[in-house]
Amino acid sequence: MEQKFTDLELIQQILNGETTQYALLVKRHQRFVFTLALRFAKNREDAEEIAQDCFVKAYRALATFKQTAKFSTWLYTITYTTAMTFLRKKQLDTSSIHDDETFIQLENHTSSLNANDYEKQNSHDFLNQAIGLLAPDDATIITMFYQGEQSLEEIGEVLHMQPNHIKVKLHRARQKLKEKLQLLLKDEVKELLWI
Amino acid sequence: MDLIEQQLWDYIDGNLDQIQAKFIEEKINAEPQFKIQYEELLQFSQKLEDLTLEEPSMSFTRNVMEDVASVPAPISLKTKIDTRVIYGVGGFLVLPILAILAFTAYNSTFTMPRFDFDLSFEVNKMITPTALYAFLFVDLVIGLIFMDYFFRNKSISG
Repeated sequence: MEQKFTDLELIQQILNGETTQYALLVKRHQRFVFTLALRFAKNREDAEEIAQDCFVKAYRALATFKQTAKFSTWLYTITYTTAMTFLRKKQLDTSSIHDDETFIQLENHTSSLNANDYEKQNSHDFLNQAIGLLAPDDATIITMFYQGEQSLEEIGEVLHMQPNHIKVKLHRARQKLKEKLQLLLKDEVKELLWI
Repeated sequence: MDLIEQQLWDYIDGNLDQIQAKFIEEKINAEPQFKIQYEELLQFSQKLEDLTLEEPSMSFTRNVMEDVASVPAPISLKTKIDTRVIYGVGGFLVLPILAILAFTAYNSTFTMPRFDFDLSFEVNKMITPTALYAFLFVDLVIGLIFMDYFFRNKSISG
């Protein structure tokens, strides 16, 4: 039922008055929007609040959606803007890992991981943790490229940047991600990369 | 990031044209060190692709639908915009402009007045105390605006 209609068909139905169909759109995109929000908010409650806010904003503005672009790209633009606004409001610490404070956080985090036994964690957890340590823009680019399956052009559209700029930023983000993984896992990173 | 790594990422991401891709492919097959680096990056890329999306709470969709229930339903812009209203407003604005133009054209003799470019002026007469005070006042205002901008930026960055 959920995949019966395309995004554009569902939007058309909603604009024609079948507003309950919006639930299908939400179900289809909620996981990615929530994941993206989580890259900014760092905790599930805030991320859920951001994601919910995004879907309400998207609903309000649905009539202005130009159906020439992908709905997902348009929705991710709203998510990015909402999450950035949230960050500004909350004034969360978005500094890089090179800051002393982040080092402390990372050290604490690493020691707690030691206590909880690394072996119980899988590579996804470590990767997600490392992505969480990136600057929001870098985390967004990585998430959109790999999990959102968005092209460089589409990511550029969301972040208001040229595709070439996004390409460079993606390269750098991956580099930083590797560095953070190395810091996070120390010796275990080699194992992770070669599993 | 070194150039080799960048080339390899471009190859993995599929950002290279056929000739460039073939060049990298040959290099991977020919140079063992290059191949090791390629495989490492490929594994890393694969891990990123395999990352699963986070799942929000079970009640997420329901919460969103409850929220949107209080929002006016979106209506297609095609339905919302009545073209007659647009043409009416346009006509209301354009007609007076056309009327003024027609009136001006009707009453005009289409002759241009002579311009007298007398650019000689006496500086002494222009620099009066009033002009000086006005000049200093404008300077003061600009200075205050600049100071406000400067301190505001400083407080934000600090």
